[in-house]
Amino acid sequence: MTSGPLLPRSLQFAAAGVLLAFLAWVVRLIRQERLSVRDSLLWLVSTGAALVLTLFPEGLRLLAHLAGVAVPSNALFALAILYLAVNALSLTLAVSAGAARTRRLAQECALLRAELERMRGEGKARPGPRGDAHP
Amino acid sequence: MRRLVIVPALDEERAIGGVLAELRTRAPEWDVCVVDDASSDATGAVAAAAGATVLRCAVNLGIGGAVQAGYLWARDHGYDLAAQIDGDGQHDPAELARAAELVESGRADLVVGSRFLRGGGFRSTALRRAGIRYLVHFLRLRCGARVTDPTSGFRVAGRRAIGLFAARYPSDYPEPESIALAVRSGLAVREVPVAMRERAAGKSSITAGRTLYYLLKVTLALLLLPRRSQPSDPSA
Repeated sequence: MTSGPLLPRSLQFAAAGVLLAFLAWVVRLIRQERLSVRDSLLWLVSTGAALVLTLFPEGLRLLAHLAGVAVPSNALFALAILYLAVNALSLTLAVSAGAARTRRLAQECALLRAELERMRGEGKARPGPRGDAHP
Repeated sequence: MRRLVIVPALDEERAIGGVLAELRTRAPEWDVCVVDDASSDATGAVAAAAGATVLRCAVNLGIGGAVQAGYLWARDHGYDLAAQIDGDGQHDPAELARAAELVESGRADLVVGSRFLRGGGFRSTALRRAGIRYLVHFLRLRCGARVTDPTSGFRVAGRRAIGLFAARYPSDYPEPESIALAVRSGLAVREVPVAMRERAAGKSSITAGRTLYYLLKVTLALLLLPRRSQPSDPSA
């Protein structure tokens, strides 16, 4: 098992740089109001965690040891896949919630429009019981 | 007793006029609410011209979302009964009375019209018939629902079922799932025989190629039914 540094210095810097750039991009999107804080929270937290692991790779070695993974880099791959899967699931959750709300709103619009048409029809001509009578 | 028929319709401009005319003559005591699920043709205009209340969905909601809009209308306007028939002319409105009677007499909360209780009248592909048989058994195993035609779009719902469906209704391929939901919620579900006619116009939303996908989706939905909210009624 490796006893030297887990990540070469240069690679460590490169990875940290990429992660920082990604964080900056997410922050920029939030400030431009193209991304809500709510939806981006998981990205910020998980990318922050990845950054910490890059800067302190000993943590990765500890994690690998705890999980019984022989090669720490494999633990890294597993973590990376988990990171993507969790973020994708959270995205799907947001899509589902959005679809349910859209459906409810479209139904409400349809109900209101029908109410409006009914009121207009009553205003035009026939008085009498609220237009529920069969035409 | 205030009665409403919900008629979900998507691109049925050729059939909907006939369905509404027939409702007026054969089921005159029912108010009619057509749910136009964002048709690309004149379905909504034809229905409005025929005097029906039209719920116009601004975006396509799928059959479940459209039907639920109808139940919301029924609930908000205090209807005692809400029926559901297809917008393509497959169902005979005269058969609503018998189903309504079961609900009005308190013997059922939800009545489903079955094509199989009375022999003949309905022909389909072997695959679809096998699929329906499978759903019948699966529904009974899963939640004890005893129905013979779980995919039928002919329904009559009483107040409790209206309230349930207005609050929650499955989105796509909702028929078997809504039966399970009703049984799970302790509602009494019964069937009456109905005849099934050739479609006046248009095509079934379930084409042969989609049957297997349909069965898979419905199976999954039934397996993953949410936990029951109220104790279920064993007589249901």
